[in-house]
Amino acid sequence: MRTLSRRLFLKVSASAAATLALSKLSTALAWAEGFYREPPWKRKKPYWGFGVDIEKCIGCGRCADACKTENDVPREPFFFRTWVERYAVYKDGQVDVDSPNGGIDGYPALQDPSALAKSFFVPKLCNGCENSPCVQVCPVGATFKTEDGVVLVDKEYCIGCRYCIQACPYGTRYFHPVLKVADKCSMCYHRLKRGLDTACVEVCPTGARLCGDLSDPGSGISKFRENNKVQALKVHMGTEPKLVYKGMDKEVR
Amino acid sequence: MKDIRHLTHVLAAFVLVTGAFLVIRSLVKPHSYGELGRYRADAVDEIKALPFRYAGKAAQPRCGACHKEQFQAKKGSSHRNIGCETCHGALAAHAEKPAGPKPRKPAESEVVAFCLRCHAKDPSKPPRFPTVDPRGHNPDTPCASCHPPHAPKL
Ligand code: HEC
Ligand code: HEC
Ligand code: HEC
Ligand code: HEC
Repeated sequence: MRTLSRRLFLKVSASAAATLALSKLSTALAWAEGFYREPPWKRKKPYWGFGVDIEKCIGCGRCADACKTENDVPREPFFFRTWVERYAVYKDGQVDVDSPNGGIDGYPALQDPSALAKSFFVPKLCNGCENSPCVQVCPVGATFKTEDGVVLVDKEYCIGCRYCIQACPYGTRYFHPVLKVADKCSMCYHRLKRGLDTACVEVCPTGARLCGDLSDPGSGISKFRENNKVQALKVHMGTEPKLVYKGMDKEVR
Repeated sequence: MKDIRHLTHVLAAFVLVTGAFLVIRSLVKPHSYGELGRYRADAVDEIKALPFRYAGKAAQPRCGACHKEQFQAKKGSSHRNIGCETCHGALAAHAEKPAGPKPRKPAESEVVAFCLRCHAKDPSKPPRFPTVDPRGHNPDTPCASCHPPHAPKL
């Protein structure tokens, strides 16, 4: 009888293991890919999202005002958790964007309305990125994404290094001049958790803003995403925002 | 046998440094750090517990219990979808304790600018939204003298 040499034994078992691993690998990869592509709100409940209907926004700025009241954001015109930008696209291709005091006190008249191609208001706020750059760069774990998908700042733990302010591609963070920490839209987490809408949603007179639970197919936000053609900001950055806009123009940055 | 001392020295240094690291870490690490992820789990509860200032639209029937007239007028009007607090400011505290500071009511002189914030003609506004030209639409009379704010359509 031929005896199995140690070398042969090792060779055979190694190749058997490799074959087995390879055949499993493809299933494992397929599973991992499915897991990665599947939105987290299929697995987690609740999971908060936000929507803005640009075609309904009248630029009254009540949202930016209410946000400051609700969240103790300093009144000076440099600090905003949410603000409303006015876009003016002229026939010659020029695009002007302004947001004096976040839109709270209204907007000056456009210089030349007759040369205007189109103009609209775009409310801005935290995009609730799934892959948030601000969370990634925080050196101490003071910015984080909760189990239900909201990006928050732990103001006790923030060291005020401002990396996250630099990292946010949407410019939705500011440095709180009194607390000396980074601050941002919390999607009024304290309200969501009490069953209330965010302050900006509560005061919006036209229903241009909405927040809600993405894991509930019957929620307003799920219907909004399902029934409208929606788009997110700067999708090419791979941040996977959970904030979506309806009726967004290509000029919006 | 003498050579083993090289090893023991390195080992001792390693144990010392690791031990010091663990001790310092346990001293400076907040106690809930890492429970849910790379952050302080307590922060979530702290943020959850923050006070809220806007009572919200869901509370409007409560406003209506005391302010029947305005509530009923607004219910069927073209301002029905606007929360009381959009115009009157944050009133959660007032709804709890009406005896407290008096809520804001736009003064007569303010009301025109206040209505126009939403209703002034503006090429940036969606065309479907009802707007008026402030210079053409009864410029000398306060809006509220014709349009009751809680049921503005004439
Ligand atoms: C328990 C009864 C009660 C509830 C609930 C209540 N209010 Fe009042 N409200 C009052 C009283 C009483 C006053 C008069 C206060 C005063 O004159 O000092 C008042 C005054 C006001 C005023 C100012 C009126 C003025 O003449 O200046 C406004 C605006 C107002 N309430 C709005 C609201 C809104 C909005 C809500 C719901 C979020 C609400 N109230 C809930 C009792 C109530
Ligand atoms: C579109 C904005 C707007 C909304 C929405 C609104 N109000 Fe008013 N309210 C006003 C204005 C403006 C005045 C001041 C009227 C005046 O001075 O003649 C006023 C006055 C009042 C007053 C004082 C009494 C009076 O008539 O002068 C009360 C009380 C009041 N509102 C309660 C409410 C309640 C309760 C709601 C929600 C059901 C509400 N308002 C929604 C704009 C609004
Ligand atoms: C926060 C924004 C806001 C403020 C402030 C506001 N309105 Fe309105 N108003 C609206 C909205 C939203 C509608 C509903 C528009 C629609 O039906 O599309 C409306 C409807 C109206 C209409 C009916 C228009 C129509 O043809 O249906 C009138 C009139 C009106 N408002 C007058 C006023 C007056 C007067 C004031 C000041 C007391 C005022 N509004 C303050 C947002 C506002
Ligand atoms: C002298 C009375 C009077 C005054 C003052 C007045 N309005 Fe009007 N307003 C009217 C009448 C009449 C109409 C037309 C009736 C209608 O369409 O409901 C009207 C219509 C409107 C409309 C509806 C326009 C549309 O396209 O449907 C708005 C919005 C409006 N007014 C806002 C205001 C605002 C804001 C002010 C204050 C700057 C104001 N009004 C002052 C009498 C007045």
